[in-house]
Amino acid sequence: MIFSKLAPTVCYHEDGEAHSHTHTHAHTHDGVEHTHEHTHIHTHEGGDHTHTHDGAHGEHTHSHDCTHECNTCGGCDPMQETLALMQYMVNHNAAHARELAELAKKLGELGNHAASEQVLAAVSEFEKGNLRLSAVLASLK
Amino acid sequence: MCLSTVYKGEIKPENIAMQNVMRIECDGDMVILTDLLERQVAIHGTLVMANLVEGQAVVRESAE
Repeated sequence: MIFSKLAPTVCYHEDGEAHSHTHTHAHTHDGVEHTHEHTHIHTHEGGDHTHTHDGAHGEHTHSHDCTHECNTCGGCDPMQETLALMQYMVNHNAAHARELAELAKKLGELGNHAASEQVLAAVSEFEKGNLRLSAVLASLK
Repeated sequence: MCLSTVYKGEIKPENIAMQNVMRIECDGDMVILTDLLERQVAIHGTLVMANLVEGQAVVRESAE
């Protein structure tokens, strides 16, 4: 079983929408009490709920309270997530700019120099936009 | 290299299992999704399809 690396939850949901939580609970079987952490996906309408999942010791059912609103549980950091996504986009755009420059080179090799120059000009504009995004990102960090 | 949204069953907003997925691993009867923040969700089931242009993938959950 694979667990979430970031405690305590993964939550992108509203009530009634399937979602997952990572949590730990104790249980006893064969005379031995122990705990293990796991992630599973379930759906609920708020409040108490019961679910079944496979843990390290086979399938079992348990229930727990779930009374929080997603944006108040503390498990997610919207700013951290936004910054991570923005950083990814900046890197992603830079990669696309390099790919477009390769396309421009290819057009030149194929003899279409006008198109090649136009694509290179577009790459330049694209990079300017990405630089602006980088500056915003730096200001947010 | 784009991030994907993974759905369970069919592509509908209410079926989203995870967004901003950067890695999908199939391990036996488990499909393990990892998002941009390295959070992971494991789903019992199989990967049905991945559209890398649209950034969409579908996982079919195993019958309980």
